[in-house]
Amino acid sequence: MRRRRRAAFPDTFAAVGDPTRRRVLDLLSRGEMPVRQIAAPFRMSRPAISQHLRILLDAGLVVVRRDGRERYYRLRARPLRQIHDWVAHYERFWQGKLKALGAYLDEEEKAKVRKR
Amino acid sequence: MKTDLKFEIAYPHSPEKVWRALTDPEAIAQWLMKNNFEARVGHRFQFQAPPRPGWDGVVKCEVLEVEPPRRLVYSWCGGNQNTTVAWTLEPAAEGTRLRLEHAGFRGLRGWMISRILGKGWGSKILKINIPALLSRWGGEGRVPDVPEAQCSHQ
Repeated sequence: MRRRRRAAFPDTFAAVGDPTRRRVLDLLSRGEMPVRQIAAPFRMSRPAISQHLRILLDAGLVVVRRDGRERYYRLRARPLRQIHDWVAHYERFWQGKLKALGAYLDEEEKAKVRKR
Repeated sequence: MKTDLKFEIAYPHSPEKVWRALTDPEAIAQWLMKNNFEARVGHRFQFQAPPRPGWDGVVKCEVLEVEPPRRLVYSWCGGNQNTTVAWTLEPAAEGTRLRLEHAGFRGLRGWMISRILGKGWGSKILKINIPALLSRWGGEGRVPDVPEAQCSHQ
């Protein structure tokens, strides 16, 4: 599997774009869990789940703690805020631009009337 | 599941005029961003916005649909996020009804509502007025008639 840059914003988007990984995040919202417990509800091999966890880890959405042979994962939700901010940014962006488009159209109309 | 940002607005101008404002590079620069747009399917162009921290301000696009003066679609690839922007124009009593769909915010809406805004993850994560934002997003489970964004040229 390709290693991704840690905690880079686009990785966050890609990480939560996958339904399995969203379910993993949902599970972890209940608290810290070992891999076997995370894997239990899925019809998926342990390595497949580990791969999803790896992506979440690289995206900074989970943190891992080792205890003996067991690895425990915990949710780290802060990057989700970035996603929200990103979409909110576009919300404001387009509202502003549509207003600017209206102003532009009005201005063009006025300029044409003046030319006549 | 896909999620869109959707807007609808009426302008007291003919669809032809609105179409021109959407497709003439100089006009686009006046209200949107500097660009090298051409209304030709397959044309690759860029918008240049003022750079921000973490973003060079470049939006890479490719024209996907051109149907004057009714519909214009281009891919919108900025900050490594592949999305699609679709403009639909309809003649209306007041002039033109313009619909804008910015699609490709995959799967996030329903998930955020049910988990983050719901009881599950709780308010500790996102203490913001998200419902107002989400109400504008596309309906859950809906498959919009907007093609998949392609960012292969990045």
